[in-house]
Amino acid sequence: MVEIGHFALVLALALSLVQSVVPLAGARGGNGRLMAVGGPVAVTAFAMVAVSFAALTISYGRSDFSVENVWENSHSLKPMLFKLTGTWGNHEGSMLLWVLILTLFGALVAAFGRNLPASLKATVLAVQGFIGAVFLLFILTTSNPFVRLVNPPMEGRDLNPVLQDIGLAIHPPLLYLGYVGFSVSFAFAVAALIEGRLDAAWARWVRPWTLAAWVFLTGGIAMGSYWAYYELGWGGFWFWDPVENASFMPWLAGTALLHSAIVMEKRGALKIWTVLLAILTFSLSLLGTFLVRSGVLTSVHAFATDPTRGVFILCILVLFVGGSLALFAWRAPGLTAGGLFQPISREGALVLNNLFLTTAAATVLVGTLYPLVVEAVSGEKISVGAPFFNLTFGLLMLPLLALVPFGPLLAWKRGDLAAVSQRLMAAFGLALLAALVSLIFVDGVSAFAAAGVGLSAWLILGALTDLAFKSGLGAVTAPVALRRFVGLPRSVFGTALAHLGLGLTTLGIVCVVSMQGERILVMKPGDTAEIAGYAIRFEGLEPMKGPNFTEERATFVLSRDGSPLGSMHASKRFYPARGMPTTEAGIRTLGFSQLYVSPGDIQDGGGLVVRIWWKPMVTLIWLGALVMMAGGTMSLLDRRLRVGAPSRARKAVGRPEVAAS
Amino acid sequence: MLFWLAAAALTLVASLAVLLPLSRQPRADADRQDVAVYRDQLAELDREAARGLIGPTEVEEARAEIGRRMIRADAATSRAAAPPRNWARVLATAAVLAVPLVGWGVYAVLGSPDLPSQPLSARLAKCQAGATVEELVGCAEAHLAANPEDGKGWDVLAPIYMRMGRSAEAAQAFANAIRLEGSTALRESGLGEALADAADGSVTPQAQDAFARALAIEPGFPKAVYYLAIASFQQGRADEAMAAWRKLAADAAPDSPWRTAANEAIAEAERRTAAAADQPGPTTQDVEAAKQMAPADQQAMIETMVASLDEKLRQNPNDPEGWLRLVRSYVVLERKDAAREAVVRAVAALGKDSDAARQVNELAASLGVTTTE
Repeated sequence: MVEIGHFALVLALALSLVQSVVPLAGARGGNGRLMAVGGPVAVTAFAMVAVSFAALTISYGRSDFSVENVWENSHSLKPMLFKLTGTWGNHEGSMLLWVLILTLFGALVAAFGRNLPASLKATVLAVQGFIGAVFLLFILTTSNPFVRLVNPPMEGRDLNPVLQDIGLAIHPPLLYLGYVGFSVSFAFAVAALIEGRLDAAWARWVRPWTLAAWVFLTGGIAMGSYWAYYELGWGGFWFWDPVENASFMPWLAGTALLHSAIVMEKRGALKIWTVLLAILTFSLSLLGTFLVRSGVLTSVHAFATDPTRGVFILCILVLFVGGSLALFAWRAPGLTAGGLFQPISREGALVLNNLFLTTAAATVLVGTLYPLVVEAVSGEKISVGAPFFNLTFGLLMLPLLALVPFGPLLAWKRGDLAAVSQRLMAAFGLALLAALVSLIFVDGVSAFAAAGVGLSAWLILGALTDLAFKSGLGAVTAPVALRRFVGLPRSVFGTALAHLGLGLTTLGIVCVVSMQGERILVMKPGDTAEIAGYAIRFEGLEPMKGPNFTEERATFVLSRDGSPLGSMHASKRFYPARGMPTTEAGIRTLGFSQLYVSPGDIQDGGGLVVRIWWKPMVTLIWLGALVMMAGGTMSLLDRRLRVGAPSRARKAVGRPEVAAS
Repeated sequence: MLFWLAAAALTLVASLAVLLPLSRQPRADADRQDVAVYRDQLAELDREAARGLIGPTEVEEARAEIGRRMIRADAATSRAAAPPRNWARVLATAAVLAVPLVGWGVYAVLGSPDLPSQPLSARLAKCQAGATVEELVGCAEAHLAANPEDGKGWDVLAPIYMRMGRSAEAAQAFANAIRLEGSTALRESGLGEALADAADGSVTPQAQDAFARALAIEPGFPKAVYYLAIASFQQGRADEAMAAWRKLAADAAPDSPWRTAANEAIAEAERRTAAAADQPGPTTQDVEAAKQMAPADQQAMIETMVASLDEKLRQNPNDPEGWLRLVRSYVVLERKDAAREAVVRAVAALGKDSDAARQVNELAASLGVTTTE
């Protein structure tokens, strides 16, 4: 069974090689038969990688320690769920997941691409196949998960306990769906450059893939952030850790790509820029993969430390980034530029958005790579921390966030700023009110909190204003407005939801950063600590035993004004197989806010060091991301964006909600 | 075999994925996507105009622009499919051949086709050579947990447990082996040894019974003789013990480990007896004197000595050896009640869970003194 997986992986490499050469040759030479090879081969390559991945997963499920990878990263006593998720909790397995998702996207392009121009489809599949072939080669030569042990030991070495969490089940697959999803946009961009043709059909095709990848990446980043928040026991939601930045940079570039693709699809403008962004976004995804997988960083996430791998990934990076940019420099001047527009217009607003987002991505890139460059040149280890990012990135985000509500309300080609401002007056007034309320009633000291709350309210209300005006509220009677509201295209809802989610996330971040409360104290059983009006009584520690760990579990009883609110648990775990301790924080959600209790060292005499945080509105950070994802999904479901189905799309005109089925 | 069949099937599927599209006539290329997109754009323009989001002049302008693009797209004629050329045939053949060649070639270098998968549960059921003792024990334990009636398994496992120092489990394994495979001198004495080891070297009545059964099956079985002698010594019958060991040393072959063991035991016993002589108790002179006396006087003297020992232990109860001697003395004097009382006092004084108290209890039990707790 294991060897079948290994063999299927090798076959996938062979198929990917065929996929990267034959369809491309067919497209260049105008040979229909050669072009037609791309589709079936892409689907079969995916099937082969799926067989391979299934074989590895089964080996994990059955604790087959004759597979070296399983022996290194699993333990027979782990709960079944963590045995299975352990498949991608290590370098080799996660690379296999990466390729599985890559080939999945290739197969999807093949399956849903019936209406694509044949030569474009063939070229896209060839580019995808080439990416797949290179990564399969990387896996088979430097990171083969199917290396066998002739004399297998009876017990595995267990997975890093920090990774034995439901977070691992969700975070990497989502993140990879995002990262790798951008490979489709990349393949389309490179295909357009090779074909020398860039038209409306191209943009119409690229946008849904970009949207889907963006939705997954948003989810992956939010999930990773929440995972770090509750698992690492520090109560922080974002650390500007290089690994986090590695996933954040493609997100920023992908967001820019998403917006410029709208312009290109609707107006035919910004063509060349969109192609460049598609290349940059996937390049940043590859850079992220390189940073995490090569071991150049040393942090919680970086569980690979093999220089041969690093050099191999660096070569892949240079090949793809350098190759695609060279192709761009060579072919882009030959592409026709798109339509013209006034500076004050929706196109203008989207260009501004692109400028801010790409500059932000560039600052994050500088902050992430600078320490590496310094280390490489002088051998000195420095770290670029939150202050740098808060100053540069934060400063860039402020005007961008302030301008977001204007964008959707501006007309295409030639907008009227005064009219839009007038429409936004109500939202502006209410946002100002929110800021004042925050300043007077919640926190009189922090002007930052007030400004932040005002900005968040401005974003949320701006998104709602957009919906209100598009449905004609105020201009027509309420029933008509309601009917219009229901009949709005899904992409309008998508835009509003995504911007609203952004507002919620901003609100969460502002509240936590400016108003969180923290207490560090030694508690003995029976002691009570007060925070934000809540009383937390420490009941005591009791030893517990899990399937592959032992723990000291602390019980806390929560109450407010004397009325009990139940108990919460936090524990210090020890995993004997790796000899590693972990801290499991106790978290209680109260409304949108959370109480976060993290146990520290046990002192002589039964005292326990306890850190307690009051995190106001903290869940909004991730709920906002969920709303953004919902917005993206809504936009994806818009009939207009459904991948090439012109006949059905015509029927859908005016009644998009019918077409949703 | 199954692997080769599956690998062949996969190769076939992969090759067909390349071969089939190459052998089919490609359908006519409908390269009309742009026009459809522009038509959608026109429809959406109308929608936006109806909603009043865009002025009438802009509508006209945009409609004109989309119309212009549409005409341009229409004008672009799709390229006609070129007839297949030689290079295309060569490439197609190479592609079809590449799949099995690359697949089997790379796998031949990287793969280990003759290594079967080894899920843990299957391995626990069937253990292979080359494993360490712990692994084998793990295998055997898992196997015996599933098949507790496998007497041979217990028989093999028991001495291994003994060597690993897991004497309680060894005793259980020997007992199971005896129950399932029948009693032999080797198994019975193994059980006795395990029991004694589990009791920190004290040869308990159960252990003695096991050794006795071993001797009943095979008189003179060295391990049983050796351990029964230890039992005698522990119960204060040093002479008896010495005699047994001497006989064992004399009977055993020159290179037998039992000869060495017996000689060492004799030396150790002599050292202890010498040490015991320093302790308060009946001296050799006292005993010699007692032998000269009339039986009644003898009895009186012994009772006086026992009473003085009793008194000493009341004042200084933390003396395990003393308690053992006192209990034995009362039994010899046939004062069972006093012996029982001494046991209770000893246990109370030495601590209920201490080893010393357990030794006292075991001695009492072996001498037929029962205490109700």
